[in-house]
Amino acid sequence: MRLELGSFPVTRLSAGPTTSWRDGELTVDADGLRRAVAHENVEALEVHLVNPGDGVRLIHVLDVIEPRVKVVGGRGAFPGFTDAPRVAGEGVTHRLDGAAVVALAEVMGSVDGQSVKEAIIDNVGPAAAWTPFSQTHNVVLVFHFVAGLTIPEQLATVRVVSVRAAEYLAEPVRALTPPRREVFDIDRVPGANAGRPPRVVYVSPLMHEGSVHNTYVYGVKVSSTPTVFHPNEMLDGAIVNADYHISAYRSATFHYQNNALIRELHARHGRDLDFVGVVICQCLVVDHLEKERSAAQVAKLCRMLGADGAVLSMQNGGHGWADLMLVCQRIEEAGIKTVLVMAEMSDAEGTDVGLIMHVPQADAIVTVGNMDEEVTLPAMPRVLGGTQFLDWNNYEGQVGAKPSDAFRTALRRLHGVCNQLGHSRLVARTH
Amino acid sequence: MERIRIVHYVNQFFAGVGGETKAGLPVGTRPGPVGPGTLLQKLVGDAGEVVLTIYAGDNYFAEKTEDAVRAALGRIEEARAQVLVTGPAFNAGRYGTACAVLARRAQTELGIPAVTAMFRENPGFEMCRAAVTVVPTGEDAAGMSAAMEVVARLALKLGRGEALGRPEEDGYAARGQRRNESHERTGAERAIAMLLDKLGARSYVSEIPVPDFGHVVPAPPIVDLTKAKIAMVTTGGIVPRGNPDGIESRRATRWGKYHIAGLDRLQPEKWSSVHGGFDTQFIHDTPDRQLPLDILRDLEREGVIGSVHDWFYSTVGAGAPVHRARAFGQEIAADMKAAGVQAVIFTST
Repeated sequence: MRLELGSFPVTRLSAGPTTSWRDGELTVDADGLRRAVAHENVEALEVHLVNPGDGVRLIHVLDVIEPRVKVVGGRGAFPGFTDAPRVAGEGVTHRLDGAAVVALAEVMGSVDGQSVKEAIIDNVGPAAAWTPFSQTHNVVLVFHFVAGLTIPEQLATVRVVSVRAAEYLAEPVRALTPPRREVFDIDRVPGANAGRPPRVVYVSPLMHEGSVHNTYVYGVKVSSTPTVFHPNEMLDGAIVNADYHISAYRSATFHYQNNALIRELHARHGRDLDFVGVVICQCLVVDHLEKERSAAQVAKLCRMLGADGAVLSMQNGGHGWADLMLVCQRIEEAGIKTVLVMAEMSDAEGTDVGLIMHVPQADAIVTVGNMDEEVTLPAMPRVLGGTQFLDWNNYEGQVGAKPSDAFRTALRRLHGVCNQLGHSRLVARTH
Repeated sequence: MERIRIVHYVNQFFAGVGGETKAGLPVGTRPGPVGPGTLLQKLVGDAGEVVLTIYAGDNYFAEKTEDAVRAALGRIEEARAQVLVTGPAFNAGRYGTACAVLARRAQTELGIPAVTAMFRENPGFEMCRAAVTVVPTGEDAAGMSAAMEVVARLALKLGRGEALGRPEEDGYAARGQRRNESHERTGAERAIAMLLDKLGARSYVSEIPVPDFGHVVPAPPIVDLTKAKIAMVTTGGIVPRGNPDGIESRRATRWGKYHIAGLDRLQPEKWSSVHGGFDTQFIHDTPDRQLPLDILRDLEREGVIGSVHDWFYSTVGAGAPVHRARAFGQEIAADMKAAGVQAVIFTST
């Protein structure tokens, strides 16, 4: 399976009469965008263009999506959403490298005890360095819904409109020659004749719990029966995020499209290792027997792929970390060595035990930071997304400030900061 | 350059005023360095000045801690200390505890940085390690010079407001405090590198320390269940409707104790769950699902168990820090023990 990814850098975002890309400048026709993504559930759609360093605070972030267009091998870049659920990862896809669609909506209340958690992106200030989304040129969509929609209906609307917007923005580069091309093809193993490099599988738990928070695989919620995936599928739009829980450790669609672990495994493929494939499974499985079933099946698939080693990322947390530890345990018991990538909750002072559950086999863990650590964010006069912070049922503790004020918060509320796919350079150390 | 003003706390023995017979001495002071303080002064040289020595008897400090701390803090503040040094206490338990308490209180109440020194097994060590700079020492005063060298260096750094280096570099005990920092490589790069090391049988270091919860010895089994008083404890957040004690739905800072004498079951109109981590609808419909009072009453009537305790205990487990959960458990256990409870039905989520 061979995927050619053509990258068009975006170094500037500006408004204009037509949507186009030229020499790094993405010009956006906001009215054209609104017409292209019009949806009966959307009463009004604000479109804002935010460049890095602009000094804007985005609140109520639901998802971040990289603009993509499928050039060869399909009709849409998000199969299951904008195309039939054909297998992604083959042919040619063009991307706007350095741009992002950021979807904001004030979704209040709860369903089944589940609510949307506050998610903030500042593109200046102390927290900006920790999220990739302070460095992207963001086309920010603020949704205003028609009356009478349920929470799942609102969120479904956001997903559908956002992926369409991502395609609309990338459409201008469909027929252009990309300045940079990458080929993703793990079937070619150049120069692998001197010894056999270890076979490595990437295991990617995807969260699903209740009717509010989910992950979509080709347009359908992830199931508790694990599946073998080709790495190109994840890079090429097969996964759309629908997790709106604690902001710091959820993965945006953007994180899957640019999966740092897949890219690193690919960079080392054929040299230091043989990247044999991906196993996706569910985390936050609510039944304990079903948790055991899932973990056993993941280990079986790794064995069938002939893996020597497995790297496990994570999505969300809570008892989902129990899924991660069970999967690690079963894989190690099958004789396959594991490394885990995960966030920790070590309390604001950094003195609590950072893990909810641990198994002796989990002896190689990479931390992406303590999401309880607090930071003071500066006052920011320009706020997009809403006028008050979300805080259903006092789950996170009150912020006690307006979004434009300076305030202190745990990293938990900051989007992308402790992402467990390994994007950032944030690490926690013991002092 | 201005000399850093150091105040030094020692016990009655190191102050030279007496041994064990003088352990009841109240807080006293001497200008300048005394006893091991003279070594401290020598080591800081012109960069620092031990302006005051405070001492107290080890028993006095242990028995009248509040009075001792208040008196000492008053003197420390009057002396315009820029840093407080307490000890070294080596393995002397009461002395180490006094050093730990005074160091912590000076930091939190006066905002003055403190450094202390003692043996790792001194009870005072764990009391202050997370909050205060502690230099690990040998077991006894034979290690005085080695300890004071490190103490002197750290005292000057702290007094100047300089950041300390990593624990291994600067000679103090790791606080066990996790702090976020920037790494040169991304998490993904580090993960693949760690996996290749593990696969290649090379050494690697896991980035999250493995927790050690210690070992809890289980209580012995009940001899006669038909005579036993049973209590219920839950982390499922069951509270009277309206949550009168304000138990938080995550990272709870308190637990509640609620009266159920005479109740056959938990009526949905009167009880709810404030747990923030799961769908509580099933609990609101039938609170007995979380706290099986109805079943226990059946067993009580049938004579299978002796009795149901008049109270149940409740908090929210979501996001609970381990040290708080441990403290809640100890407090609840003490309450149940005083009431003659012999066994607990514990429900979590």
